[in-house]
Amino acid sequence: MSTDIQQTPLFSLRRVFIIAGNTFTHLMRMKVFYFLLVFVMVAIAVNFLKLPHTAGPESVGAEELRMLKSPMIGVMKLFAIILAIVATALLIPRDLEDRTLYTILSKPVPRLDYLIGKLLGVLILIFVGLTVMTVLLDAVLYFRMQSILESWTQAADMLVLQEQWTDADRTEGRRELLSHGVTWSLQAAMFAIFLEAAIIAALALLVSTFSSSTLFTVVISSLCYFIGQFIGDGRDHWLRESRMADDQVTVIASKLIVVVFPDFRPFKAVDEVVAGQPFPPDLIGTLLISAGLYTGIYLVLSWFIFSDKEI
Amino acid sequence: MSETPAVQISSLVKDFRGSFGRGIIRAVDGVTFEIAPGEVYGLIGPNGSGKSTTMKALLGLVAPTSGKCAIFGKDSTKVDSRRDVGFLPENPYFYKHLSGEETVRFYGKLCGMRGAELRKRTEEVLDLVDLQAARRRRLGGYSKGMLQRIGLAQAMVQDPRLLILDEPTAGVDPIGSRQIRDLILTLKKRGFTVFLCSHLLEQVQEVCDRVGIIHQGVLVKEGRLDDLISIEDQTEIVLRNATPSLLEKIRNLAENEEGVEFVHTGHPRTTLERLFLRETVQKDSQEDHAPVVVSTDNENS
Ligand SMILES: Nc1ncnc2c1ncn2[C@@H]1O[C@H](COP(=O)(O)OP(=O)(O)OP(=O)(O)O)[C@@H](O)[C@H]1O
Ligand SMILES: [Mg+2]
Repeated sequence: MSTDIQQTPLFSLRRVFIIAGNTFTHLMRMKVFYFLLVFVMVAIAVNFLKLPHTAGPESVGAEELRMLKSPMIGVMKLFAIILAIVATALLIPRDLEDRTLYTILSKPVPRLDYLIGKLLGVLILIFVGLTVMTVLLDAVLYFRMQSILESWTQAADMLVLQEQWTDADRTEGRRELLSHGVTWSLQAAMFAIFLEAAIIAALALLVSTFSSSTLFTVVISSLCYFIGQFIGDGRDHWLRESRMADDQVTVIASKLIVVVFPDFRPFKAVDEVVAGQPFPPDLIGTLLISAGLYTGIYLVLSWFIFSDKEI
Repeated sequence: MSETPAVQISSLVKDFRGSFGRGIIRAVDGVTFEIAPGEVYGLIGPNGSGKSTTMKALLGLVAPTSGKCAIFGKDSTKVDSRRDVGFLPENPYFYKHLSGEETVRFYGKLCGMRGAELRKRTEEVLDLVDLQAARRRRLGGYSKGMLQRIGLAQAMVQDPRLLILDEPTAGVDPIGSRQIRDLILTLKKRGFTVFLCSHLLEQVQEVCDRVGIIHQGVLVKEGRLDDLISIEDQTEIVLRNATPSLLEKIRNLAENEEGVEFVHTGHPRTTLERLFLRETVQKDSQEDHAPVVVSTDNENS
């Protein structure tokens, strides 16, 4: 006779990882990584883009690198967002429909573990995908930078020789050019994309716990994402206009809106990094906190709904 | 230690809301019964009578509207109650992307098993359900009967003391169906508790100690199978090579007795299942475990 003094803990990291691992393999075997082929094709295509050398050498290099980065990072962002919404929206309704959920939840698996496991599986997949693409992007940028740097140095040396440029100009120009290459800011921007995807995935998870169809979840989550792109501005405007910023109701209402439509404005920093701006070092902390908070809130709400769900 | 019942269901009521909140469907209406450890219990009833809903409530998959369910004394609404139970849902369906072996391992891991223990147990259950040959194939390519069997393997993986089987033989061919029946009998011998429901009454009759009959959510009859099906005031005599004159003599003997009525005479019928098995399974390849109840005048002719 087994004397069960042992309690099943409400949350077990091991079980979460088992479910996450299963979700990851599931998505892998759904061949989502064919998306990487699209990325590779874009990477190859943009490599053929060459600007006519009409402008001065000092701006050509930067422009070329930007034209390289912009579409590649665009594809990466697309990959992360689409996967965050669609994969998450697909997973739970499918388990429900196929009644796989019966067999999983009839094992000693708390529903919270199941939810976190599913979300984590999607996030791991996005993270792996983004990492692979970042490595590719870095490699392409690096080699392109080498060739650009070579011709740039020649041109700059010439300018210095002709005394159009001082030595300081050359150092400054070189620094400026290098800031368009493989930088820490770029890596930080890639991480910011991941964090943004994490928020959206958690939102899609929440929607999928009460929606009855995948399509509904996809549409609602996408809508929230797009609204979240500019909701912050609208809210600030509203607060300023109504001049009731100290009125508690308005403040609370505006905060509620932010829960439903996450404010994605800080994530716009990614676009600035593409343009060659440095990634503000303190921003990464802000983004981490914001992503953690949103994901946490959505998870708790999902759990709330899901634990009472009739399956 | 007084034995806690393996299953306790008391005054279970489950209402479902109709679509768009219109109307209420009462799927289970005040069902009460217990299953003692080591018993095989069969729940039978027409389609939509609430069998699956009762099982789901017992597993905490649906919340009872009122009433209580417990497994080995642990409340079904708690995760803990699910440690010692395996469930095979009706028409089970698993992750298509996993192979049979991966499926069993996945569910084993969910039960907290790992390492050598899990490997050993995976072998055992795959043997038990006879799926060793297909273990590396993805479930996407499994037939319905194979899915049913991997479902059984999954349910048994953590070696639970209680198995809940919702129509374990639905969609399985007669041979596989008989294997599942034999498996249940083996489990019973080893002291497992089984709670099953099925539409195959012959099988229920063969394996169950006790049965409950549920109709429109109400448990209308419940008790030991022997008590339920025996017709107390009748007696059956089976003869081999009886001549018509002997039968005539017996008939006369019976009718001369005070208060005795001769009800009928004829060849005992074999069941359709047995006939199918006799015709399809190679007689020499396997011995028949089924109880032999055949009188065989006709086989000589
Ligand atoms: N999720 C649900 N929502 C609404 N009604 C439901 C739900 N699940 C079951 N029902 C209803 O509850 C009743 C009992 O269903 P249940 O599945 O328990 O029957 P069953 O005895 O298992 O039937 P079967 O032999 O066909 O498997 C049916 O009338 C069914 O329509
Ligand atoms: Mg049923």
